[in-house]
Amino acid sequence: METLTAILILLPFGSAFLCYLVPIPTLRNIFILVSGGLLMVSAFLLIPYCPFTFTPDTLLGFNLHALLKVGDFLLPLIFLYFGFKHKSFLVKIFSLLQLILIFLIDFFLLPKEPTGPVFYADNLSLLMILIISVIGSLITFQAIPYMKNHEEHLLQGPSRQPGFFFVMLLFLGAMNGLVLSNDLLVLYFFFEVTTLCSFLLIRHDRTEVAVHNAVRALWMNSLGGVALALALALILNEFHSTDMQRIILLPPAVGYYLVALALIAVAAFVKSAQFPFQSWLLGAMVAPTPVSALLHSSTMVKIGVYLILRFTPALQNTFLGQCVALLGCFSFLSAAALAVGQSNGKKVLAYSTISNLGLIFACAGINTPEAFTAGVLLILFHALIKAQLFLCVGTIEQHIASRDIEDMRGLYAKMPLTALITVFGVIMMLMPPFGLLLSKWMTIEAAAKNIYLIILLATGSALTVMYWARWAGTLMSDPFAGRFKPERQPLLTWTALGSLAIGAGGLSLAVPWIYQWLFLADMIRGYSPPYQTYNGILENGYGIFPVFPLSLIAILGFLVSIWFLKGTAKARIAPSYLGGLETGESGVFRGPMNQLIPAEARNYYLSHIFSETRLTGWINLGAGILLTLLLGGAL
Amino acid sequence: MIYKTALLIGALITAPFLGGLLMGLDRILTARLQSRIGPPLLQPFYDLIKLLRKEKMVVNVWQAFCVNCYVAAASISVGLFILGSDLLLILFIQAVGAIFLVVGALTSTSPYSQVGAHRELLQILSYEPLLILAIIGIYLETGSFKIEAVLDWEQPLLMRLPFLFLVTGYALLVKLRKSPVDLSTSHHAHQELVKGLTTDYSGPYLALIELGHWYEVVLFLGFCSLFWATSWIGMLIVALGLFLAEILVDNTTARLTWRWMLGSTWGLGLTLSLINLIWLFLRR
Amino acid sequence: MGIFKNITEISRMKSPWLLHFDCGSCNGCDIEVLACLTPVYDVERFGIIHVGNPKHADLLLVTGTVNHRNKKVLVNLHQQMPEPKIVVAIGACGLSGGIFREAYNVVGGVDQVIPVHVYVPGCPPKPEAIIDGVVLALKEFEAKNEKYGQGARGKRREANKEQEKS
Repeated sequence: METLTAILILLPFGSAFLCYLVPIPTLRNIFILVSGGLLMVSAFLLIPYCPFTFTPDTLLGFNLHALLKVGDFLLPLIFLYFGFKHKSFLVKIFSLLQLILIFLIDFFLLPKEPTGPVFYADNLSLLMILIISVIGSLITFQAIPYMKNHEEHLLQGPSRQPGFFFVMLLFLGAMNGLVLSNDLLVLYFFFEVTTLCSFLLIRHDRTEVAVHNAVRALWMNSLGGVALALALALILNEFHSTDMQRIILLPPAVGYYLVALALIAVAAFVKSAQFPFQSWLLGAMVAPTPVSALLHSSTMVKIGVYLILRFTPALQNTFLGQCVALLGCFSFLSAAALAVGQSNGKKVLAYSTISNLGLIFACAGINTPEAFTAGVLLILFHALIKAQLFLCVGTIEQHIASRDIEDMRGLYAKMPLTALITVFGVIMMLMPPFGLLLSKWMTIEAAAKNIYLIILLATGSALTVMYWARWAGTLMSDPFAGRFKPERQPLLTWTALGSLAIGAGGLSLAVPWIYQWLFLADMIRGYSPPYQTYNGILENGYGIFPVFPLSLIAILGFLVSIWFLKGTAKARIAPSYLGGLETGESGVFRGPMNQLIPAEARNYYLSHIFSETRLTGWINLGAGILLTLLLGGAL
Repeated sequence: MIYKTALLIGALITAPFLGGLLMGLDRILTARLQSRIGPPLLQPFYDLIKLLRKEKMVVNVWQAFCVNCYVAAASISVGLFILGSDLLLILFIQAVGAIFLVVGALTSTSPYSQVGAHRELLQILSYEPLLILAIIGIYLETGSFKIEAVLDWEQPLLMRLPFLFLVTGYALLVKLRKSPVDLSTSHHAHQELVKGLTTDYSGPYLALIELGHWYEVVLFLGFCSLFWATSWIGMLIVALGLFLAEILVDNTTARLTWRWMLGSTWGLGLTLSLINLIWLFLRR
Repeated sequence: MGIFKNITEISRMKSPWLLHFDCGSCNGCDIEVLACLTPVYDVERFGIIHVGNPKHADLLLVTGTVNHRNKKVLVNLHQQMPEPKIVVAIGACGLSGGIFREAYNVVGGVDQVIPVHVYVPGCPPKPEAIIDGVVLALKEFEAKNEKYGQGARGKRREANKEQEKS
């Protein structure tokens, strides 16, 4: 177990340095593949040891705590350096604040003796580790062919790939460390490492926009860091302990503990890019697509929701919890509304991420066992499907040189398999019996008692349908006569896309068993299993979702529909109807002077209602008010 | 188990017959309201069979796939309804069908079809929140999302959910694409859209859309009948009464724009639902 | 099988959906066609629906002369109707080009471009005559049904081949 933990955290760090130092691309690719494979294997091998606690005394011969102290000081200093380099006032301020707080914590507040285990793993952390190790590794695999292609198109000067993969792998290690750590100081260290990694990754292309957006990500996330450090100081001042498992079970009424919790919630909102902190995640789109995939699915944004789910026992029956739920639902609705107004594929994905994370925050705030289950399942399925969709959009973008949904019209004719995988991802995003919708069902049923939340959820989910459905239809448009011939792509791309798609689909089928595993013998602290499972059916006192039977019917229906497709092979393929003016070519009609004119119809984006310029200000204002409410309520 | 299977199969077979008859009734009543005689009661069935036996013709083979999924989702939701399953789940499953219908229409490059598809998306956007809130209202009253529990409830829900019943009726108008909100496609001789959503469907595929629609009609009338679930006669009266009201509205109004539809469903509909929900909440 | 065939035929007889195409008529015939839909004549009694889209239609009602500009549209509409389908030409112009037949841009009657099954003469024909024409067309339709029923596949193959050629 010690070895496995060490592999999960240290191996990515090690191979990251190897990637950076070894200049031969083939060798570097081998490092990436081997360490990815090892990560996946050790994550699975860790399952039987759960739950466990673990306290290493030394790390490669050094005192762990001394190392951490150095690290905690070093990271804000690095931020400060970047603040001066890019002349960002906010970065300077926030890193200085962090330095001061860390100084306070390390020299005045920290108790001499370690107060609890450094690492702790229950099923929630284990699930996170599986997500990070498997999905994260798959994304780095796909990044190998992607970055090669990327540099062929864009690069002037020496290859930046060593640095890129260095940071990618570092990121995975830091994430694994973060979800395993039980000591708040260790958690803070890894929190800061991910901030640094995301900054470096967003900055990767070094264009003006990239640097600008990266600096914005840096100052926002260091604001989160400040909040976390302040929370840490308050907790230490109150309890003289950094043992997270002990702290979260304390009643929240004690002293400034509630304020500390509110600050942790703020840190979580920042990391998960909830309104009004959404702009850093939207700006992160300028980075190469594997970075977006990594930030949006398995790492970075999942830190926030993980933190808040971790702290749910402390939030029970507090005004703070209600505020978190309200802010989450608000994000869910407003991100969905903004997504409706977007034709940029990556932006739609980004807003949908914010929207889904809002849903997870809502689950954490509602805080019943049902809602908690929904939150955990949402993390899993959102990570899988979002990684898949981002990788698809990246692949598409490299082929058609656009990420606009309008330009993906008729993509099936050009890249059939990628288009199919994308459509499958979209379908999994909004249809039963797939896992994401199952979790949404759980959330709505759990939120049903709160009228305000439920109105936000009901309207938000209708908007969600709108932006996904039109994308799926657009991809499949254009005449198609029924011959399926997959396009050529690197094997690693197919591996990543295929395994993510199959994984998300297969795990949807297995939700009852995942659920049983998660809640086996009450392993997630504080929650008794809310659902009964029998024959693959989930049922509680007021709701029933026959996962397995429905999936069987869905598979059967799918097969019948495919069989139907065979029947249409004999059907006449007619041109689409253009008022009788159609020509031999599809979508082209004969206009005045016998000219051939392509018929055009764009999707409805309702931009006079749902445009960014119109809504963002108001939404930020609303979120700001809610945030003030949250902090003010805690004081 | 055997009883349930028989019930399921029986429902799946009778539902389209019932739906077809209702559609025939609709056409006769509509004709009478326009002082015409109108077609025979069985007319929808003649149409269906004729369409089924026509030549297969598609623009894009995905159309066939999508139509199939639409019918499957509609029939599954009827099946789950008769088995007394979870209301929210049933709503989500019928949404699958509606989405596939839209996706199928979007696969054609014809602007008529595309515009129809987007209008249908707007219709989904209009009615879905209202139906979710109606279901939430039922939950707040009976304490369960399961239809079994709703049927066991002693008091008619209409007494406690009057506004939500109105809202459901309005949502049904949008769902069944009746005037004034028959934006995406319509039954009668409104032709400026060349039948919108269904423009590029023909023959058997058009027939399947019609079949799916019949299932949906039965499903939603069934849902509305839950508002008087204490007696069979009450259920029948509520469902039929609502259906007649829909026909009346259909024939006495002219089509309005989607802005009006979205504004009225989200503005008025959500407000009425909220009032009803708050009332329920305060009474508890 | 016999029963099924019978049901199909009855259904086809009872549900002719028609598409009305104005091929450059003076609107006299068109008004008479539309008059059939009014409560006075009420063709919906016979299951007739006036559709706006060839893909849904069984009967094509053409009024007016065919000229070089709109003949392509006429052919397109006819091609987009799924089998089995019937064409009814209405009015003097539709039959032969009428008083315009000698004009430089006029091709002539509808049958110069697509096969016509029923001719309804008149300038304009009365609604009764049009309904009568549709009823006649239905009989033609029945006969055509049998042909379509027997060789449906062969016919489709032919149609596909034709498309490939064009």
